[in-house]
Amino acid sequence: MAHFCPALLLLLLPSTAAFGASGPGYDFFLCANLNRNYTIGAKVSANNGVYQQEPSGTWRHVGYNDGTITAGAFDPRDRNVMYTSALNGLWRTLDGGRLWRICNDWSMTEARDVVVDPNAPDHVYVALPDGVGVSTNRGQTLLRREDGLPARGKYTQVLHVDRTRAGRVLAGCETGIYLTENGAQHWRRALTTTDTVYDIQQSPHDPRLWLAATHGVGLQRSIDSGNSWQKIDAAPSTHPLYNVTFDVTNPQRLAVGSWSLGILTSEDGGTTWTDRNAGLPAPHNVWRVGIDPSGRLYASVAGQTLFVSADFGRTWRADTIAAAQVNKFVLVPRAAR
Amino acid sequence: MLRVLFPLVLLSLAAPAGRAQPSFEAPPPSPAPVQDASQRRAEYFRRVDEVLDWAAGGGSAKTDDPAKLDLAMIAARIVRGQDLPGCSGRVIEMMREPGTGPFWMFPSVCIAYLGRDRLSPEALASIRTAWRTTRQLRGDTENHFVMYYLSLYLMAELYPNEPAETWYNGQSSAENLAEARAYILNWIDVTTTVGQGEFNATHYIGEYVIPLQFLANWSKDPAMRQRGRMMLDWLFAELAATTLNGVLRGPNSRTDEGSAIERWSAMASYFSWLLFGNTPPTPGYSGWGLYFAPLAKNYEVPEVIYRIATDRSGDFVQRDRARVRPFWRYSDERSPAVYKTNYLRRDYAVGSTRGGRIDPLQSHVWDVTWAEADPRGQHNTMFSLHPHSASEIIQASFVFYPEPMIKGVTLEGKPSYDSPDKVIGSSPYEQVVQDLDTVIALYDIPAGTRFPHVNGFFSKDLADVTEDPSGWIFARGGNAYLAYRPLAAYHWIKYLHYTSGWAKTRLDLGGRILTSPHLKNGTIVQAASASEFKSFAEFKAAITSLPLTFQLEPKPAVTMTTLRGRKLTFTYGELPTVDGRAIDYAQWKLFEGPYLNAEIGGRTLSITHGRLKRVLDFKSVSITDTVKEVVP
Repeated sequence: MAHFCPALLLLLLPSTAAFGASGPGYDFFLCANLNRNYTIGAKVSANNGVYQQEPSGTWRHVGYNDGTITAGAFDPRDRNVMYTSALNGLWRTLDGGRLWRICNDWSMTEARDVVVDPNAPDHVYVALPDGVGVSTNRGQTLLRREDGLPARGKYTQVLHVDRTRAGRVLAGCETGIYLTENGAQHWRRALTTTDTVYDIQQSPHDPRLWLAATHGVGLQRSIDSGNSWQKIDAAPSTHPLYNVTFDVTNPQRLAVGSWSLGILTSEDGGTTWTDRNAGLPAPHNVWRVGIDPSGRLYASVAGQTLFVSADFGRTWRADTIAAAQVNKFVLVPRAAR
Repeated sequence: MLRVLFPLVLLSLAAPAGRAQPSFEAPPPSPAPVQDASQRRAEYFRRVDEVLDWAAGGGSAKTDDPAKLDLAMIAARIVRGQDLPGCSGRVIEMMREPGTGPFWMFPSVCIAYLGRDRLSPEALASIRTAWRTTRQLRGDTENHFVMYYLSLYLMAELYPNEPAETWYNGQSSAENLAEARAYILNWIDVTTTVGQGEFNATHYIGEYVIPLQFLANWSKDPAMRQRGRMMLDWLFAELAATTLNGVLRGPNSRTDEGSAIERWSAMASYFSWLLFGNTPPTPGYSGWGLYFAPLAKNYEVPEVIYRIATDRSGDFVQRDRARVRPFWRYSDERSPAVYKTNYLRRDYAVGSTRGGRIDPLQSHVWDVTWAEADPRGQHNTMFSLHPHSASEIIQASFVFYPEPMIKGVTLEGKPSYDSPDKVIGSSPYEQVVQDLDTVIALYDIPAGTRFPHVNGFFSKDLADVTEDPSGWIFARGGNAYLAYRPLAAYHWIKYLHYTSGWAKTRLDLGGRILTSPHLKNGTIVQAASASEFKSFAEFKAAITSLPLTFQLEPKPAVTMTTLRGRKLTFTYGELPTVDGRAIDYAQWKLFEGPYLNAEIGGRTLSITHGRLKRVLDFKSVSITDTVKEVVP
C-alpha cells in the first residue's frame, strides 16, 4: 500500500506563481519514434526513445534507443530512476540509463503508459492492452491489480496519478475512466464510454481540475478530482481526440491534438476553441500536442516532424528534432535530481 | 505503427537467384508416396543438400563474396565448412548493426550454435555482444513471441551464469532462461489444449518450426529437446493433413494475396517439398526456409506423417479447433474458438471456418482448391468474402489510434486492406457452413459498412466458365467441376494483384472478381470430381436439379440438398443443420478425423495412418509409436 510523504508532496505540488516564462519548475521530455516505417526485425536507423529539452530548446537523447517507447516517468526522489513503457512492456533504469531491466514477464505486453506515484514513489503503474500492472517495489516485480475493472473493456491507454494523494490513480480504458484511491486495490468507474479514453490530465494549477480526451465523447472535464465528468460542449466530439494538455504558464490555455481535427486551442479555460492548423503541413494529422515549461506549443504531425509555436499556434516552424513522431510529451517537476 | 510480421520483406530478398535451384526449375515431383524407406530418406537428404548447396553458393546474393552473404548463407557455409574465416569476418561485420527483434534473434542463434567450434572467437563474441547492446523487441504476435522466447532460451543456455548487465534486457542468464522456459511451456500448453491462434498459416509455419528445430537439437535440457521434436511433429502432422499434393489451402489464420490466389507460393510448400517431396519448392526456398536446412538431417518426418501427406487415395473429413489471436478490445471474448472443416479428395479440397472475425488483416475463411499437376503459377482456388475493412477491427488486436490504422497497414505489408476488391480478410458479417464439398457463405452487412459488397474470386485458370440461366455459374478447375451460386445480382471486375506486401502497383493476372453490391447476400459452392460424371453437362444438370430455396430478407437463408444427398439449412445468425440436426460445435474436438485426433484440453495428439500410429503426449513429454501387426 502507498506510504505518504507529506514533505515530498509539498515539493511536488506545482505553484502557479513559480512558473515564469522560462518555466524553471519543470523539465520537458518527449517520447518519440524517429525511425520511420520501422517494422519488427528491421535495423534501427535513428535514435529513438526519450529526449529531454535543453535550455537552448534543442533535444538531448536520454536512455535507450527503442522506437516503441510510448511513455516515460521518473522517480521524483532520484532522476536516475526512470521507467519507460514500450512494446516489450515496462523498462527501468536505476543508474541514469546505463543498465535497463525489463520488469514484466511474457504475460504483459505492449505497454501504453507508465506513471510513478509522486507520493509513493516506489509505486509504478503500467497501462496494458488488457488491464493495469502495478509495482510496489520500483519495478522489481509487476503484478496485475484489476479488481473493479471489467473482465472485458479494460484496454488501458493512459494512466494519471493524482499528485495530491498517494494511491489515487485514474485509468483511461476502452469502457471509460476508472479511478482507484487505494493504489489499485480496487477500481471504480467514474465515466462510462463506449470507446477508448485516450488521455487524462490533471491541471497543474488546480489539482481538482482534470481533462480527458476521448474517442467518441469529445473532451471531458472533471472539477472534483476525477470523481465525475462532464462533456465540454464547446470542444468538438465529431472525431477522436488523441490528447489534451495544460499550459503550466497560463491556467487559461489548453490544447488538444487530433488526427482528423489537427490542433485546437483554448485561451479561456475551454469556453471557446480555435483551430490552429494554419501553418502546419496539410492534412495536419496530429499525433500529439504538448506545451513546454515556457508555454511553447508543440505539434507532432503525422508523416512530417515536430512543429513548435511560440505564439500558441498562430504561427509554426519545424522544430530541431528531425522526423519525430511523438507518442507522449512528459512534463516532470524538478523536485529532485 | 503496427508491430506486425512482414516476412515478405525477406522473402522478396530470396527471389530466384543466379544459382541453380534444381527442384524449382525441374518438372513437378510425383505426389505419390515413396514406398521404400531408404529411398525416401535418400531423397530427403538430397533435397536438404540442394538447399544447403544453393545457400552456401551465395543464394540470392548471386556471389561468392563473403561480404554479401546473409546469416542464412553463412549458416550453410558453416555446415559445409566453406570459407570459415570469411564467414567469421562477415559475422563480425553484420553484428555491428544487429537487428531488433525475433527475425534477427533466431538467425543469430543459429550462427551462434552452428559456429561454436567453427567460427573465430571474435565472431562468436560479436554475436554475444550484440545480445548485450541492442534491445530486442518481442513483437506483438504469436509467431513473434515464439521466435523471441525460443531464441532467448537457447542463448541463455549457451551463455549460462552471466549477470544481468550482459544481456540487452537487464536480466541474468538464469532469469532469461526461466522467463523463456515459462513462455515456451505456456505456448505449448495452449496450443495442445485449445489450438494455435496462428493456425494453418501459409508463411508463418516457418517461424514456428525453424526455432523449434533449434530447440529440438540444441537445448541442454532433454525434456525441452523432446518438446521441440514433438511440436515439430504436431505442426507437420497438421500440415500433412491439410495439404493437397503438398499445397496448403484454406482456411488460414494468416496469409497474403499471393498465397491465397497461387496457393502453392506459400512457405508451407517449401516444407511440403522438403519433408514430403510432393510439390516443387518455392523460389529461394522461401528465404527463411534456408534456416531449417542446416539441421534438417537431424529431423526426419515420421513415416505416419509422411503417409498422411502423400495419401489422397481416399476422401476424408478433418474437423479441428483453433482460436483467434487475442482481441484486446471491441470484443466480448478475448480469444474466441475457431471451428475448421477440411474435406480432402484426390482432385480437390474444400476448407472453411465458420466465418466471423478471425485475424483482422490476413485471414482466409474458406475456399475450394483443386489439384494441379504443376501448381506453379496456377491460381487453383475459388472462394468469396466480404472485403471488410475497419479500423476498429484492427484496433481490436493492435494498440493504436483509429484514423491512421487503415492507411497504415497498407503501407506496412498489407497493401490490399484498403481496397474494395481485396481477396483476403475475415468479416464479422460473414457466416459459413461446410458439409463435405458444399459451402454456404451468408452475408448480412449493415448499412453504412465500408465496402458493402461481396467479392468472389474467379481464377484465370478456370475453364468453361458458364453463367447459367439457372443462376449457377459453372466452371472446371483441373479435374474438379465447380458450381458457384451467387444469391444476389453481381457484375465482373478485373482481379488486380499486389505482387508483394510493398507493391505500389497492381498487376492484371487474368483473374476476375464477381462483385455483388448487396448487403444481404450469399454464395453457395458445390464441387465434384470430373470423374464422377460422364460430362460437364451432366454435372451442370445434376446441380440445377438440386432442391434449393433461399431468401435474403429478413435474413439470408438457404435450404438445399447437396450433391451428396444431404439436406442443409442455414440461416444467418442461426446454427446450420445437416439432415435436420443442428451442428453442435461445442462438441468439436481439437482434432477429429481419420488421421489426427485430440481432445480439447488433452495435450495429446494421436496421429494415425493405416497400420501406423504415433501419439504425442505432452503430459508425459513422450512419443509412442505403434504398428498394427498384420497376421499373414
